[in-house]
Amino acid sequence: MTLSNTRPASGPADRPGFWGRLSGSGPYAALTDVLLASPRRQFAILLIVPVIWVLLTHLGPILQMINVSLLTNYPPGPNNVPTYTLEHYGKFFTDSIFIQPFLRTLIFSSVLTLTTLIIIYPVAYFLARHVRRDRQMMFLMLLLIPFWVGEIVRIFAMMILLGNNGALNLALQWLGLTERPIPFMYTGFSLSAGIIYLTALYMLMPLYSALEKIPPSLFEAAADLGAGPWTRFRRITLPLSLEGVSSGCTLVFLISTGVYATPVLLGGPSTTLFSEVIAGFFHVAGDQWPVGAAFAVIMLVTALLLTGAFTKLMAHLAGRVKQ
Amino acid sequence: MTRNTRILMQCIYWAFVLYLLIPLALMMLMGFKDSKFIGFPIRDVTLDWYLAVFQDSQVLNAMGYSAIIGVLSTAIALFMGTWIAVALTGRSFWGRAILLGLTLLPAVIPGVISAIAFRIAARLVGLEPGMWAIIWSHAIHNVPFVVLVVMARLSTLPKSYGEAAQDLGADPIITFFRVTLPYLTPAMIGGGIFCLLLSFDDFVRSFFLGGYEPTLPVLIFAKLRSGMSPEINAISTVVLVLTAVLGLWAERSMRGMKKRAAND
Repeated sequence: MTLSNTRPASGPADRPGFWGRLSGSGPYAALTDVLLASPRRQFAILLIVPVIWVLLTHLGPILQMINVSLLTNYPPGPNNVPTYTLEHYGKFFTDSIFIQPFLRTLIFSSVLTLTTLIIIYPVAYFLARHVRRDRQMMFLMLLLIPFWVGEIVRIFAMMILLGNNGALNLALQWLGLTERPIPFMYTGFSLSAGIIYLTALYMLMPLYSALEKIPPSLFEAAADLGAGPWTRFRRITLPLSLEGVSSGCTLVFLISTGVYATPVLLGGPSTTLFSEVIAGFFHVAGDQWPVGAAFAVIMLVTALLLTGAFTKLMAHLAGRVKQ
Repeated sequence: MTRNTRILMQCIYWAFVLYLLIPLALMMLMGFKDSKFIGFPIRDVTLDWYLAVFQDSQVLNAMGYSAIIGVLSTAIALFMGTWIAVALTGRSFWGRAILLGLTLLPAVIPGVISAIAFRIAARLVGLEPGMWAIIWSHAIHNVPFVVLVVMARLSTLPKSYGEAAQDLGADPIITFFRVTLPYLTPAMIGGGIFCLLLSFDDFVRSFFLGGYEPTLPVLIFAKLRSGMSPEINAISTVVLVLTAVLGLWAERSMRGMKKRAAND
């Protein structure tokens, strides 16, 4: 290649292409002279848009929610100007009808997270270590397809399975295991089945990618050194998959605490979750917004603290076994 | 692992597949039932419910409404997500970890909390509940997913590509459009379809930020609350087929990207 061929933009010499014409045009040159004057300025321009976006749209709504949770009334009316108060937070701690769904949500989400982990771990292990590489995608796809369908459609499918005239009851009656239909719907059972149906993928993906990364040579080396299957699992698989366990559990827990349509459609009066309580303040009169916002803040802070502590604990455990 | 545990795990896998697929299969079947009542057994079959879906203007409107919201929110999420990913990749600066954390924030806020936070914020900026409020909330919620996908792709872009372009006289803007952007295209297609699916399927944000016109999931929810009929099965089946096709397309796009990255 001769030096004369190294033009700024490609294209034939006599007829420059779109980019050549653009970079040769006067307004573009004037613009880039200002925008790209120094690496420092280029960097500042590159960064300013993300920073503004993230502060205004990612952080802003959360801050405004906290702000509203401290106001006496919102939206502000013509003759009642809101002032700051802590009474909505007090309401949560003094009224037991709110504490109960709150605790139920936390216990329910924790139990479901653990259940999902126990069910999904063997599935992820089987996929990552016992299915041939070239067939893993196919096996994974079977699990992925249901997860592309939305929350509502999946809940509806669950309702058809579990209803009094549903497929499960029909099958049980046909087998002679029960005389009358068992009322699965609107119970903790139907709600759990529905939530696991929604969240399992978020457990599967982190676990699968953590397990898939473990080099098979480690197991061969351990076996050569005389480690049995249980020892290999305890000393290799488990410690190296802790990262996947950690992020999978975090995701599933956070999603379970925030589901709304699932408890409304699959749950009953005895399984009211905190998300339904929060939502209630937004459906009825508008002046209840601050209470709903305060309750949402309590839920958010609790969920983030719990998952944060859990992540720290898992990181600590993973660090200890590596030594 | 011993042979028995392997067989046990295989059984758990297939049991789990059945748990995931049987409800959807039953749902599709029930759409063929020639009766107003949902429930087994199915005695007579009909195609009427499926045909009715494509004549029901309420369903078609909701579908179109959801599609518009999906496309516009995806466009915004792709634009912002790619910009953020480019700004975050390949350089270290003060506050990078904070910026990354804030970028991923919408993905970890529990659904109902994120929905009401957007509802309150929409009130603050004077955005009435309706199409634009939904688009805005979907776009924000989807940005983290675009950032993650694009950052993963960007980290495999050899530095020499950009340097070569700059040596040939291209400025950073032209380098971005002629080198970086074409390289990112498969990631953006995959991430974009994923956003489209998330938006099309989203219930909780559309529910809290919507006006009188329902998106498709909100319409199905309303129909479910007023009573079940095989009509809902037919609508849901159409949604299932649509999303499965889109999802498979996204998966193919992303898989092609991984293969090419491995060959590079």
